[in-house]
Amino acid sequence: MARNNKYPKGVLLVLALMGFAACTELIDIELDSTFQRLVVFGTVTSDSVRHQVQLTTSSDYFSNRPSPKVSGALVELEYGNNLVILEEHDTIPGLYRTPAAFRGEPQTTYHLHISQVDADGDGADESYYAESTMPSGLKLDSIRLTYFKSPFFSGYQVFMYALDPPTREWYSFKIWKNSDLLTDTLSKYSIQSDDFYNGSYIYGLPVGFLMDEDPREALMPGDTVTLELNSIDLDYYNFIVDAQLEIMGNNPLFSGPAANVRSNIDNQGKGIFTAYPVQRVSAILSE
Amino acid sequence: MLRSRYISLFFSVCISFIAIESFGKVIVSGYVQDAATGEELIGANVTILEIGKGTITNTYGYYSLSLDPGSYTLVYSYIGYVAQRQSVNLDSDIVLNIELGESLQELEEVTITAEAGNANITRVETGSVQLPIQSIRKIPALLGEVDVIKAIQLLPGVQVTSEGSSGFSVRGGSHDQNLILLDEATIYNASHLMGFFSVFNNDAIKDVKLYKGDIPASSGGRLASLLDIRMKNGNNKRFSATGGIGTISSRLTLEGPVFTEKASFLLSARRTYADIFLPLAKDTAVRDNSLFFFDLNGKLNYMVNDKNRIYLSGYYGKDVFANDFAGMYFGNRTFTFRWNHLFSKKLFSNFTLVNSHYFYDLGTPEGEIPFFNWISFLEDYGFKGDFIWYPSPEHTFRYGLSSFYHVIKPGSVTARDQDGNANESELSNNLALENGIYFSGESKIGDRFAMRYGLRYSMFHNVGDATVFSYNDVYEVVDSTFYEKGEFYNLYHGLEPRIALNCMLNERNSIKASYSRNRQYLQMASNSTAGTPLDIWFPASPNIEPQISDQLAMGYFRNSLDNRIESSVELYYKKMTNSIDFRDHAQLLLNPRLEGELRIGDATSYGAELFIKYETPQLSGWISYTYSKITRDIPEINNGIPYPAPYEKPHDLALVFSYNLTDRIGLAANWIYSTGIPFTLPSGRYEVLGSILPLYTGRNEYRLPDYHRLDVSVTITGKEKPGRRWQSEWNFSVYNAYARKNIWTINFIQDNDNPDLTYAEMTYLFSIIPAITYNFKF
Repeated sequence: MARNNKYPKGVLLVLALMGFAACTELIDIELDSTFQRLVVFGTVTSDSVRHQVQLTTSSDYFSNRPSPKVSGALVELEYGNNLVILEEHDTIPGLYRTPAAFRGEPQTTYHLHISQVDADGDGADESYYAESTMPSGLKLDSIRLTYFKSPFFSGYQVFMYALDPPTREWYSFKIWKNSDLLTDTLSKYSIQSDDFYNGSYIYGLPVGFLMDEDPREALMPGDTVTLELNSIDLDYYNFIVDAQLEIMGNNPLFSGPAANVRSNIDNQGKGIFTAYPVQRVSAILSE
Repeated sequence: MLRSRYISLFFSVCISFIAIESFGKVIVSGYVQDAATGEELIGANVTILEIGKGTITNTYGYYSLSLDPGSYTLVYSYIGYVAQRQSVNLDSDIVLNIELGESLQELEEVTITAEAGNANITRVETGSVQLPIQSIRKIPALLGEVDVIKAIQLLPGVQVTSEGSSGFSVRGGSHDQNLILLDEATIYNASHLMGFFSVFNNDAIKDVKLYKGDIPASSGGRLASLLDIRMKNGNNKRFSATGGIGTISSRLTLEGPVFTEKASFLLSARRTYADIFLPLAKDTAVRDNSLFFFDLNGKLNYMVNDKNRIYLSGYYGKDVFANDFAGMYFGNRTFTFRWNHLFSKKLFSNFTLVNSHYFYDLGTPEGEIPFFNWISFLEDYGFKGDFIWYPSPEHTFRYGLSSFYHVIKPGSVTARDQDGNANESELSNNLALENGIYFSGESKIGDRFAMRYGLRYSMFHNVGDATVFSYNDVYEVVDSTFYEKGEFYNLYHGLEPRIALNCMLNERNSIKASYSRNRQYLQMASNSTAGTPLDIWFPASPNIEPQISDQLAMGYFRNSLDNRIESSVELYYKKMTNSIDFRDHAQLLLNPRLEGELRIGDATSYGAELFIKYETPQLSGWISYTYSKITRDIPEINNGIPYPAPYEKPHDLALVFSYNLTDRIGLAANWIYSTGIPFTLPSGRYEVLGSILPLYTGRNEYRLPDYHRLDVSVTITGKEKPGRRWQSEWNFSVYNAYARKNIWTINFIQDNDNPDLTYAEMTYLFSIIPAITYNFKF
């Protein structure tokens, strides 16, 4: 069962029923401040593209402004005997890109070095480091679309068929409807570890759900659904798990205490740097 | 080999006790029972006026006193019953079975009762509270459902872990550190409907006793408390029925003799019916749901002869949340067989066979495509042998042994696609054998001093088949070991000394102190504060050492106004080692590497408890106040900085009272106040891929606003008519009478239109909730 939902259907039913009793109300609360941290989101994939690293900083919780961008940093990507200096985008501050497109290679470790940054504003520059080894992952076989109708919602469930290798693996899934990336925010990512499938053929793993009630997701005959499979490392898997738990919020029935999202950026940095291969497979909804 | 040696030694001790019974004494013994129903009364006082000494009945209503020959006046008393005097001329052993009638609250009867009403002063144990079910029934309850657990939560030192929850913390312990026994069978999850109701149907319950840390040596396996709940035996005088029709559920209990007074039965059932009204809902998503729980209690007992009694009792309860596409089912099942045997009038014994089972099952219906099913269960098979030896009024000794085999199936998942291809996976079972042997005594030293002392020796074996992972310093699996089926592969054992002293300053004042050590080998993988049915219990193992607590307590107890007011102040300090918490964002469900999610450290709790209980013909109730601090010190959590437990409430106050306005109209109210629970809130934020993520600086740094609530009820009893057995009453109750919006949780919402905007949103569970219940008996 993929983690695009935190809980199985039975638990979701209970939560829905709980909702009948519970009431919500907006409130004003005062929160403390803390020093600014550097926030990194950087990826290297097996697609031939200019790979990107975005640098921002944290802010007060109720700052209610876009995250401050970090310009003028020295961002370097090191792999094998190569060292690439990323260039800051001309018009998008804080977005750094490799000078040219290239494909990331599985089993290669990518090292990210960031310097000439004063994220905490104390007048002294800090340096940050992260690394990620691109996994090999499994060979994606096919997907199947199955219509599902419940009293609460209906739509097409996307099932994945693939052979999982004997090593421990983690996956994230993105879904396109035609050319529209539906899983376009962190909360919509679907992820899965192979704890229950390790080394086995995976018969129909549910990796996404396209709801009839959402016009953007609702499928019509002839629509093409594309599954993008990313074989991710444990750091990125943990980052998404933690982030989704925090986005979902606190429910005393099932949640543990709130906690920071894990990061592989050192020096108290936040965010993630990761390298993963990309595979895609499509299916067309028949008449 | 070691075990058989212990068992031989144990039985040698038993036989020697029988052999060395003192000469020259005569024995008065028997059972104390309710006159109307024949129910044995637990903890009834038996006092010998001439020498000012006595005893109390055990959990089966039995007492035994060895005395010099002579003439004595025995007074039998029990809370809520008319005391009875019995003059006896003792020149040989006699059996006196006494039946006490319920008090009608007339003045002279209360005066008689008060003769031995200072049991709280004379009792040695600290931190224990016995609640008669009649007192529990007076307390206004959520949706009118009288609830044992909710009553317990109003006592000092006991804190509810989350609003509406059946979970409770005793003196800083987590909710899995409470041993809840129903007729000696462990109840692993006492919750119905996500904890809003407990599994205990009050019509089937006779007696409730809570031990806060100073647990008798006969019990073990939990650090914080023992909640000992006894079911009724069933009326052996006549057939009777009790029931009620409430806002959310109905109940019916049938009891009566089986052919003769020597045997009786009890059958009790309760079912909620919220789902009966669901078809009336406009929303089809709501209409097609099943949502209910039920309980069945049954008991059969038979007095074989004067020396032998047998009891057979069981419980089955289940929650159902289901519709056509998914369902979730969970519940408990217990079975207890007990045999009371009198080896002699001084040596009482009880042998128990017990089975407990807790399960949950969720997924899609069979045949649904795609199919998904997740099951988990925990089962205990146990044996206990307990002996009570009454050599003299000054001394009572208890000893015994127990053995429990635990079978834990943490999770098994099956998923099938539309072609019938299945993905199946099963977490490794946990099997364990938990044994205990104990000896304890209670002795009176002169007129002023009494002490209770006990020593329990517990052993815990992990049993194969099992795969045990080895972890490195960062909790990654580096190796695994497979143990064959039936292989005993890991042993923990240790002594658990317990001692309590009572210094009676006079008949109205006493000072008590106690020390107790408890060991816990089974714990629950849960980091939620409210009760969830998805419990996973896991045992001590090569990776997890048993939790150990050492508790020191002392208290001053005072009675006044002829024992109508009982008051006490108790102080406690508890140190817990190998205390378990979970890493941030721990993955506890269906995790084969669950042990890698644990973080181990110490915990400390201390506090003061004030308890004032009053009982007059018109007014009764109690005031309970607790000041407490609970700190966890776990090096790998919160950067090693000690942090408060999630259920810590430094100030916790409960005012409970009931007032008989007239013979037929009773009023009752509770007011509850507590400091808000610790909460983790962000001090900053950052954004990744369009989502705002919180930035925290510490665990449980904030607190929710203070909690308070008023519940009220009115009970109107129907007119009694001579010769008519039917009795009834209407109960009108209001939960949260002034509609306080007590915050259950706080979440942060990202604005849909402007994703840079966030709001804080509180969730509260209950506004004002009225309820009506009609109760009857005949």
